[in-house]
Amino acid sequence: MRIAQTSLKGVTLNILGKTYNGYTLFTPLGTKETMLIDMQGRVVHQWNMPYLPALYGVLLDNGNLLYGGYVEKGSLASLKGAGGELLEVDWDGNLVWNYKDPYLHHSFYRMPNGNTMVLRWVKVPKNIAVKVKGGIPGTEKDGIMWGDSFQEVSPHDKVLWEWLAYEHLDPEKDIICPLCPRSQWTEANSFTVLPDGDILTSFARTKTICIISKTTGDIKWRWGSGGELAHQNDVTVLENGNILLFDNGTHCISFSLGYSRVLEINPVTNKMVWEYKDDPWIAFYSAYMSSCQRLPNDNTLICEAQTGRIFEVMKSGRIVWEFVNPFPSLFDRVYGHNNIIPKAYRYGPDYEGLKGKNLEYSV
Amino acid sequence: MGIARTSLKGVTHHVPSKTYNGYTLFTPMSGKDAWLIDMQGRFVHRWGTEPYGPVFARLLPNGNLLYLGVKSGGLMGPGLAYLHGDEEFEQSEENRGACLVEVDWDNNLVWKYEAPQSNHDFYRMENGNTMYVKYITVPDDIKNKVKGGIPGTEQNGVMWADALNEVTPEGKVVWEWRAYEHLDPGIDIICPLEYRGEWTHMNTCTILSDGNILGSFRQTNTICIIDKATGNIVWRWGREELGHQHEPTMLDNGNILVFDNGVHRYFSQDLDYYSRVMEVNPATNKIEWEYKADPLSEFYSAIGGGAQRLPNGNTLICEDVAGRLFEVTPDGEIVWEYINPFFGPFLTFGQCNRLYRAYRYGLDYGGLKGKTLDPNNHKWINGVYGPDTS
Repeated sequence: MRIAQTSLKGVTLNILGKTYNGYTLFTPLGTKETMLIDMQGRVVHQWNMPYLPALYGVLLDNGNLLYGGYVEKGSLASLKGAGGELLEVDWDGNLVWNYKDPYLHHSFYRMPNGNTMVLRWVKVPKNIAVKVKGGIPGTEKDGIMWGDSFQEVSPHDKVLWEWLAYEHLDPEKDIICPLCPRSQWTEANSFTVLPDGDILTSFARTKTICIISKTTGDIKWRWGSGGELAHQNDVTVLENGNILLFDNGTHCISFSLGYSRVLEINPVTNKMVWEYKDDPWIAFYSAYMSSCQRLPNDNTLICEAQTGRIFEVMKSGRIVWEFVNPFPSLFDRVYGHNNIIPKAYRYGPDYEGLKGKNLEYSV
Repeated sequence: MGIARTSLKGVTHHVPSKTYNGYTLFTPMSGKDAWLIDMQGRFVHRWGTEPYGPVFARLLPNGNLLYLGVKSGGLMGPGLAYLHGDEEFEQSEENRGACLVEVDWDNNLVWKYEAPQSNHDFYRMENGNTMYVKYITVPDDIKNKVKGGIPGTEQNGVMWADALNEVTPEGKVVWEWRAYEHLDPGIDIICPLEYRGEWTHMNTCTILSDGNILGSFRQTNTICIIDKATGNIVWRWGREELGHQHEPTMLDNGNILVFDNGVHRYFSQDLDYYSRVMEVNPATNKIEWEYKADPLSEFYSAIGGGAQRLPNGNTLICEDVAGRLFEVTPDGEIVWEYINPFFGPFLTFGQCNRLYRAYRYGLDYGGLKGKTLDPNNHKWINGVYGPDTS
């Protein structure tokens, strides 16, 4: 491992008065411990989960942790982002709800109505798969092209709504990156349910973000396939209606653009209204995973998954808080001895889900 | 820039019993200097390269320094200008291009050759001539047959390719090789994510002991051997393994060492996040040695970079973008590491400490004979950028 890179760990920078004071939740890729740290990097709470993360957990406003778990012996367990089980546990780790589906992957969303929107893989029918363009010829997985599907699941595990991507994608527009395998068409890696019920999703393999109409299933908006995005991740919507996302920058157009950025896009004008890159730009890069979150003080919390680095930046690009994952991980057969944190999210001290919780640091 | 990233500078690791003892030459891309450091990271010699920004330098066996310098505010050749997509770097006659510069130990000018269309490699041959890579335009009828790349992205309709020029000390071009006369549009296909403004982007021209040339075409992920007598490309390798590679060199055992950047590898189905240095046998086309980091992502340079096999069997690797030089044993153990402490603005890359290439010279190297290599002659810079002495 590079010597210089390993030098600093934990909180390396904390500029008081400029940060959004709160607690940061994350699960390192190679551990089963989900941790909540304070601004000094001290672990104030921990959940020990039965599975490695696929790829993260969120703290619900009811104070429970909703977590995607990686089921090792799952059907598609070798695919990146494979999950298999969603678990909801209370503050003390007691199981409140779980949902098993061997095809779950990457992301999930607890809706205001109490249902959970899940993301899963389905096979793309052969007559449609042959029309899909792009990707490296002949690289379907055992002859199969996998596609994405959303399902709305009730607390009693009933599937109330389903959307199949292959019924709505357009082979003329949704073209697989030329350097990627044809084992998947879209490889959705992140999504969120919008206030109006529509779904905003990130299709990594076609380098596009889309809004899907809940009522008709149509893809009513696309952005990014013109070279703007390169295997992006973590789409969220802001209060002003803009979209925030993490543009990883891998398999970009032209070698010299190989760096990561966080973008804020206005979906009405299709214009980029804010961008964070580092200086030099090459100092901020994660080829995979990663997250971004707009904080109430207008700063943005960014998780550079590849380096296990979580940092908070002001609109001006100034870094005001930085944390490097010091926790050892299991050796990963793809990523090696890593300190990867797939995603991280901050919760303010007045967050509903933290009410009445003991957040005192004790040895 | 993140805090953790900038924390360590200079020599961060050194196992004296395992390293190849010597002096390391490097030229920070953000500056106008060529530096020579010892194994402790102490500066022992400097050449100022004003008015040029040096791309990289070689210390010749005669003790002179030969480097490719870029004029202030300019870029080498037209190809790189469009690549960086910035109008500020429009090529005008004043700021165009590069210069091959040879100076003696005391920085007196010995030789200079204006090379306005230069790409970024040069090599001093045994006969005293200098080979360098030059941009030339591809004739339209050939251009239209070239496949790959993003359609319609020629530079104002122009596609650049490379030529090799052998130049005498008197500045006369005595041999020229044009890539487009020998490339095969059926085989030499541009990476699908790159611009069609360049067919090849030849970033290396290593002269082999038999006079042939070992080249590297970045756009097509291919390294090749060019037969000097006929101009034919007699060996090609890499389309299924390499990702925008740099600096192939030939080893004593006939194998080829190459820095595989790992950007846009065609068939690996990987994302771009790790580089490798590998040794391939050109007779069998098999990879016989490889260095990768663990985790993989800890060694990655999307651009530039190089590798040098040292006499003790170790390899000195230059991880350009990270400004990091390190020496590894055949087993992959890092036994020396140096982080370039010089940060500064460079083209569109921002405040960086990039190092395009670096070379180690042993204590018995001809070019160092009789030279004074005393860090006490460089007290100021060693006080600021040298190792802690406390």
